[in-house]
Amino acid sequence: MASPAQQLPPGWAAEWDQTHQRYLFIETATARTQWEAPVANGAPVPAQSPSVSPPPTAPQHGKRRQYAAGQTQAYYGAADTLSAPTYGAAAPQPQPQAPAQLFTPGLAADGQFQQQQQQIQGQPPYYGNVAPPAEPEYINAPGFGQQPAMNALADQFGQMNVAQRGLRLYTTNLLTSPPEPRELHRPPPDIILPPNASVSPSPYANADPSYQRLTLNTIPTSNSLLTKSKIPLALVITPYRSVKEGDDPVPLVTDTVIARCRRCRTYINPYVQFIDGGNRWRCCMCSMSNEVPQLFDWDSVRNQPADRWARAELNHAVVEFVAPTEYMIRAPQPAVYIFLIDVSHAAIQSGMVATATRTILENLDRIPNEENRAKVAIIAFDVSLYFFSLPPGSSESSMLVVSDIDDVFLPKPTDLLVNLTESRPALEALLGRLGDMFQDNHTIGSALGPALQAGYKMMSNIGGKITVLSASLPTHGAGALKNREDPKILGTSKESGLLQAASPFYKTFAIECSRAQISVDMLLFSSGYQDVATLACLPHYTAGQTLYYPAFNAARSEDAIKFAHEFGEMLAMPIMLEAVMRVRASKNLRMSSFHGNFFVRSTDLLAMPSVPQDLSYAIEVTIEDTITAPFVVFQTAVLHTTCYGERRIRVVTTALPTTSNLSDVFASADQVAIATLLANKAVERTLTHKLEDARDALFNKLVEILQAYKASMTAAGAGANAQLAVSENLKMLPVLVLGLLKNVGIRQSAQIPPDLRAYAQALLTSLPSQLLIPYIHPTFYSLHNMAPECGTVGEHGVIMPSPLPPTSERLERHGLFLIEDGQTIFLWVGRDAVPQLIMDVFGLPSYEVLRGGKTTLPVLDNAFSQRVNAVIQKTREMRRGVYWPHLYVVKEDGEPPLRLWALSCLIQDRGDVSPSYQQFISQLRDKVNGSSY
Amino acid sequence: MGGTGWLFLFAVLMAAGLLFTMVFFIIMFSDLESDYINPIDLCNKLNQFVLPENIAHAFLSLLFLISGQWVAFLLNAPLLAYNINKIRGGNHMYDATEIFRTLPNHKKEGFFKLGFYLLSFFYYLYRMILALIQESE
Repeated sequence: MASPAQQLPPGWAAEWDQTHQRYLFIETATARTQWEAPVANGAPVPAQSPSVSPPPTAPQHGKRRQYAAGQTQAYYGAADTLSAPTYGAAAPQPQPQAPAQLFTPGLAADGQFQQQQQQIQGQPPYYGNVAPPAEPEYINAPGFGQQPAMNALADQFGQMNVAQRGLRLYTTNLLTSPPEPRELHRPPPDIILPPNASVSPSPYANADPSYQRLTLNTIPTSNSLLTKSKIPLALVITPYRSVKEGDDPVPLVTDTVIARCRRCRTYINPYVQFIDGGNRWRCCMCSMSNEVPQLFDWDSVRNQPADRWARAELNHAVVEFVAPTEYMIRAPQPAVYIFLIDVSHAAIQSGMVATATRTILENLDRIPNEENRAKVAIIAFDVSLYFFSLPPGSSESSMLVVSDIDDVFLPKPTDLLVNLTESRPALEALLGRLGDMFQDNHTIGSALGPALQAGYKMMSNIGGKITVLSASLPTHGAGALKNREDPKILGTSKESGLLQAASPFYKTFAIECSRAQISVDMLLFSSGYQDVATLACLPHYTAGQTLYYPAFNAARSEDAIKFAHEFGEMLAMPIMLEAVMRVRASKNLRMSSFHGNFFVRSTDLLAMPSVPQDLSYAIEVTIEDTITAPFVVFQTAVLHTTCYGERRIRVVTTALPTTSNLSDVFASADQVAIATLLANKAVERTLTHKLEDARDALFNKLVEILQAYKASMTAAGAGANAQLAVSENLKMLPVLVLGLLKNVGIRQSAQIPPDLRAYAQALLTSLPSQLLIPYIHPTFYSLHNMAPECGTVGEHGVIMPSPLPPTSERLERHGLFLIEDGQTIFLWVGRDAVPQLIMDVFGLPSYEVLRGGKTTLPVLDNAFSQRVNAVIQKTREMRRGVYWPHLYVVKEDGEPPLRLWALSCLIQDRGDVSPSYQQFISQLRDKVNGSSY
Repeated sequence: MGGTGWLFLFAVLMAAGLLFTMVFFIIMFSDLESDYINPIDLCNKLNQFVLPENIAHAFLSLLFLISGQWVAFLLNAPLLAYNINKIRGGNHMYDATEIFRTLPNHKKEGFFKLGFYLLSFFYYLYRMILALIQESE
């Protein structure tokens, strides 16, 4: 982050003032404060050697004392003023000396003191390590409008908790308290770290859950405690989350001074300890004492000593370092994009080729190419390969046909893979007429494998991204596939065979690609069977993405808009190239298994030729031995090349307290992260076992957790109980598991085509929590009676109606409802909808005239239409990711398949074989009570 | 030296060879665990030996069958059936993309086969000596 602290004249410090949303500038020597940035007066202070510890009177070190004092003040002052009686008791007495020993001791001016104190109190506490949050907390807040049903024992446990930590365990009865969709938007349980765990008072010292979250926000000290709780321990990481407007950008450390632990290679972070007068630091993972690098306190830009406490890596949990040459195997390579475009009859007829070329043409400017280094090539294929030579500077291109697909060769050594800027005219001309060139192509069949090999040959010495646009099953050359779809085996135990790769080509080729730093994206368009399960292997092991547009037809403008939008976003996405990811954790914690799109190159190193934005990875963690530290640290490091040709390291750090108390474990469980992990595990199980086993495993896991909770946290113990107890923060877990069981990827059904299932599974394993949760638990709004302010622009953008529980009980015959799962939006119109409503929203005279199906909603000249459109627009934009959901109008008495599809999103209803939420809960209760007799 | 003697002499040599192959496999797996080799190289190397090992074992079992050594054949039959089943299922080769997930199973299998070949080595040796003694009497 370009903090003004770095551009200040010496003797000044900048502080972010939360209440005024601007920097406050402090002259450290006189404690004078002002809002305007100070200007350097006169000559800068003579440069001093930063390596030796300067005398404590040096002006630039007044800042150190300040922070130290500020910290102590924060803990005490805050505890007093915010009147948290329990917290004061918890704060250990001898702590105030600790920072004074670590930092250069000295007296700070009184004025400064107060300033600091105000500063810190002014900041809304974010993670609770500074002071108990004043905002409604996850756990502490009572349930919505109801007093949580607590029994005596849980209460007792809760009291103990408060005395120790401040996290409180509330027990709810699942039988009497229905799930509330709004709970899914709550932040995970607070991370309450011991005081002084972090050297920085910054609210960003712990990673935001959108980057990295754990299934448990308090780590059990031993494996037996973890097994007792039955909750799986895992990390859910989205290291390269997109940063939208209004989000904090990731701070960048540009001076290539990277302090790492000598033994465990951990990057320096806010949880290390400075010892020996600040000359050494103690690693927070392995307790190794390391030297602080000589230039750590040095501002290399202005050649003068800098303030160590202003360094981004000591204040932010998510930082990016510019890596020096030691981190490079070779010089940073340019971003390379190769497009493999299917031009067979089916692709031309569906309009895919025309839409795709137009989208590429329109987005050429958005392809990340600031340094004019990006390279592009286009290969078209049906049963032969068509290469295009695009000489730089000319607007002519020539086509070279290679019909020998058994032994693929490049017809020309140069001009096939060209610089985007230099060959722009030729490229534009080619894209403009590519569709017309193959207008009358009647060839059926696809040589996808040879096309991939050609792309590989072209870029194998650079690496980059291959984007495949294919509308048919590969039938020729290497990697040819057979149509193995067989309606008879759908819904049987053999079905999982259809979800596994049919040909080893796509796995071995993926490995070759991974080695050559090539990543493959698959965009599939077939109207018939295309074997998505096999083709999705390539993106899966090369860290790409799969997008599937079943029965794509560009004649329908909705299809074309959706594809053009998503493809455009993919092209414009700033990707990370040549990435390797490694997660380090404190002693006795080990990363045991990995889920997501990457190739595991060694026991804990994940190779990703490119990292697209907003893909999520889940990593299971095992506790190997008893943990003695009061808190543990997880650090994810992604070494990558940016598409602007710079080698960088992105580091995401999360610190979590440990506990030996089972109630803390339950009170800090994060249901969203657990659901994300379970989705990954369930999909993996469908591939190695059967779909049925995956469903059973999901159900049994939930039963185990509930049993463990019942046995240890409630008065009933092992006996039967009329209640089904779970902690308040896990209340939504049963409904999320039910949603997962009813998801297209897992659901029991004989009607789901294997392609759709395989695509749903690809989504389940790659979507980040923000997108995954609506995907398994669709959002359901009632539009006809939404509050008048909904759909208008409020303080935080468009105000959304409040979500209803997804059940058809809430559907009304005269209503208008919206159901969305992040991939599709359904607008449900009741059969008795008044003509005025139809008129307002659709501009049609009556319900009878209205047609169901894919549609674009007209924006009409009335307030209600505009509000509905605003809600839909917001639904499409509010989440990260490239997806642009389709809008379907569903009439209550319309065509049955569409109606059933929309209704299948209401997951609390009863399906043909799947239970309703009430039945599911009673099944759970019987199971929990039954086997514990 | 008669037929039985030669047969078991051959079997002893084969068992020794198979024993070494298994030791090699297990060493490679532990190399992988401690990051001395990457999974792609490991799978390329090991996959060359999978089929020869299975064929050698099947050939030995076949020899026992034709020469009427029922006990020796029955000892080998379970492993033979296991190998055939794996090859029919198409999952006898090591898959670099899955290797870390399946590594514990591979190691267990490796150790089991190692033990089996070791025991059969001594059994063949014993049978060979027995055959030689019987001949000389």
